[in-house]
Amino acid sequence: MIEFYPQIKSVHIAAVMASGLLFFLRGASLHAGMTWAMAAPVRYLSYAIDTTLLTAALMLATLLHQYPFVHGWLTVKVVLLVVYIVLGTFALKRGSTRKIRVICWLAALAVYVFIITVARAHNPAGIFAAIPQLLSTST
Amino acid sequence: MNASRRLWVGLGVLLLLSFAVLLWVGGEIHRVMPPIPSAVVTENGTTVYTRADIQKGRQVWQSIGGQQLGSIWGHGGYVAPDWSADWLHREAVAWLDIDTQRETSQRYSQLPEDTQAAFAARLKPRIRNNTYDASTDTITVSEDRALAMSQVAAHYESLFSNDPQTLELRKAYAMKDNTVMTAENRAALTAFFWWSSWSAVTQRPGKDITYTNNWPHDTLVGNDPPGHLFMWTVFSVMFLIAGIALLGWHHARHKDEAPPELPATDPLALIRVTPSMKATGKYFWLVIALFLTQILLGAITAHYQVEGQEAYGFALANYLPYSLSRTWHTQLAVLWIATAWLGMGLYIGPAISGHEPKYQRFGVNFLFTCLLIIVVGAFTGQWLAVMQKLGLDKNFWFGHQGWEYVDLGRFWQIFLFVGLGVWLTLVGRALWPAIKKGGESKSIITLLFLSTVCIGLFYGAGLMWGEHTHLSMVEYWRWWVVHLWVEGFFEVFATAVIAFLFTRLGLLRTSTATTAVLFATIVFLSGGVLGTLHHLYFTGTPTAVIALGASFSALEVVPLAFVGFEAYQTFKLGSATPWMQRYRWPILFFTGVAFWNLVGAGLFGFLINPPLPLYYMQGLNLTPLHGHTALFGVYGLLGVGLMLFCLRGLKPNVVWNERLLKTSFWAFNIGLACMALFTLLPIGIIQLTAAIDHGYWFARSAELMQRPIIQLLVWLRVPGDTIFSVGALSLAWFVLRLWIGPKQAKLEVPQGAQVAKR
Repeated sequence: MIEFYPQIKSVHIAAVMASGLLFFLRGASLHAGMTWAMAAPVRYLSYAIDTTLLTAALMLATLLHQYPFVHGWLTVKVVLLVVYIVLGTFALKRGSTRKIRVICWLAALAVYVFIITVARAHNPAGIFAAIPQLLSTST
Repeated sequence: MNASRRLWVGLGVLLLLSFAVLLWVGGEIHRVMPPIPSAVVTENGTTVYTRADIQKGRQVWQSIGGQQLGSIWGHGGYVAPDWSADWLHREAVAWLDIDTQRETSQRYSQLPEDTQAAFAARLKPRIRNNTYDASTDTITVSEDRALAMSQVAAHYESLFSNDPQTLELRKAYAMKDNTVMTAENRAALTAFFWWSSWSAVTQRPGKDITYTNNWPHDTLVGNDPPGHLFMWTVFSVMFLIAGIALLGWHHARHKDEAPPELPATDPLALIRVTPSMKATGKYFWLVIALFLTQILLGAITAHYQVEGQEAYGFALANYLPYSLSRTWHTQLAVLWIATAWLGMGLYIGPAISGHEPKYQRFGVNFLFTCLLIIVVGAFTGQWLAVMQKLGLDKNFWFGHQGWEYVDLGRFWQIFLFVGLGVWLTLVGRALWPAIKKGGESKSIITLLFLSTVCIGLFYGAGLMWGEHTHLSMVEYWRWWVVHLWVEGFFEVFATAVIAFLFTRLGLLRTSTATTAVLFATIVFLSGGVLGTLHHLYFTGTPTAVIALGASFSALEVVPLAFVGFEAYQTFKLGSATPWMQRYRWPILFFTGVAFWNLVGAGLFGFLINPPLPLYYMQGLNLTPLHGHTALFGVYGLLGVGLMLFCLRGLKPNVVWNERLLKTSFWAFNIGLACMALFTLLPIGIIQLTAAIDHGYWFARSAELMQRPIIQLLVWLRVPGDTIFSVGALSLAWFVLRLWIGPKQAKLEVPQGAQVAKR
């Protein structure tokens, strides 16, 4: 199975990008007053991308023997994924006011970017892992 | 004689003839099944195995989950190998190695092809020769063969222990360490595996086919498909075409009657829900709980194919090994569907007759408690058995019988049989006044009642074998339960119930529905009863089984070819009146049943059921392809549809969350299709090619099943399974919300509504 590692990783990254981009576009359109973002085909596209993302993620975890709740960086990713989903739901649907929806949308995007930094660094602190290093360099 | 009476007589004659033939076949199987000798001895007189070893070995195999971990004669699980085929090939190679090393100092695999062929040609007659002597009740094997057997036995003793040398193979087979705890039991297990492979390669006295009709395919030992497999396959296709032509002719002649005048309001809304009908609500909660658990166990079982002993870093096999998760997954499939149908029967009885018998509610609650005790008790026993904590002496009664779909210990089996008796009594006493009343509905209610009687009684076929009954006879009776009980009488019950519901809704004339149901019952039981035999082609049975099984199981497909008519009629009824909108979702689930009846039962069933295809395909992933799409696609969706019908009656004033049902319906269908098309079908085809080209043992081997492409295809189950799970969760949430915080609507009940008698 490890033979397929590069392809699976590529699919995972592509799905991450597609998922984030679609969420960004849907949020931006909704806040601009456009309704297509909640149309059935768009919602189904979003489900399809997320299912692909999940499948590739589970495959990678098994292939690399790196598991959530065993390895810190993956635990953080899973926990933040839940936060991202909840924020995303409020951003697109459940937020009672426009202000709440916009705040949730921006927060979800921030969480999304942070998850990517955690994945890149294989470190639970993500981008913040670099801060001590930067501080020590500057001093 | 009117049409209805003629059909009753026809049904009676058909059942009488079919069961007479089926019982005769049982007698024939008993007559020609492979012998279990009192001893297996070498030419020098050394005893290799005794009958006690073989029987104890089977007990050991049953205690670890039996058919849930690998298979014997092709019946069982798919991740571990077929032990009969695996042993046979290993023994043949070991024996060849002994020969070649003696004569050439090289192993068989190191020799050039032409030399290999010469050695293999010498092996075939020796390994296929029947050395069973009935007068001494012994099988004699050569010293060389005994040596080869001991080498294979050593491999298995290592595999079923915690030997690090075979750890990777255990992982590939999804076996836990120390699958069999003691060395003594591991040794006995090898005796049973050997006997099953001996039966598969040894020619019947005076014939050139083996006890298992040359199954499994392995050219090395001369196991190639015999001619009659091809012949009966061709005949079965011919019978299928003839059957379709006949039924088509019948449909062409049959003129649709004008539909009855449709009621202005929902007639079922007139039925007052009695206390016992209300009490069935908890059956449907149980259905949801069992269904969700079954899906979770299915995901675990599938995951074991990629991580043999773990789940995402957790050593799951130490607590819930594969054979147990698969046992519970398959059993829960039957249990939740059966619970939905049992609940439906209990609901519909008083609804039909308008009569609430005394203590009926107590009976419904009592039966529910019994069901809970059976599920918890049987599952606990199975856990103790597979974890090797129960001991062989108690295993048969309280542990794991190891027979797929009839796994529960004998005590729990009897308890369930009694429970079904209680159910039959409860439904029967509620229906009885309606039957006694006579009138137009009598026929269809009688058929409904008879199907409940059959459901109650035919489970008893599972009690026909004992702890040491011959494997061929166990398989014969087991399929009475799995095929006849589930695929036969549940089908009659479901057809009668659906038709009856439509008559009560005023959408069909009772006379039309009665004739249609009786005719449909005759059509599918004419193939269904003797079609049972298609499961028994290779289980130590005579050639007659192949002839009858092939011919009649082809006829099973005939009504499925016309299922489009049924689907269209059902779908049309869904929009027959404005108030039928209330039943839109049950109707759509019934339409889904028709679709999967054609695809899952018809197409994928006929793909594997004729003798020649099954010779190669039995126990490959093409079997669960048929299993999943037919069991869930037909009976699962039917169970959900019937449950929704009852829930409509139980909660008449609650506004249904249609979005949840829509998600559920489409997620089930799309998820099931994804599972079939992304994983089971492609893996099955790869295995089929391997079985034809290299032998059945190879199609089931770790060497093939651990290939990256197979592993990738297994992973491709995730999208489909995720979608399917979303459907199940939506359904669960829908049912929950009927009781918790439901949205009430005012229902207009017409004047003069009938009130059910208490």
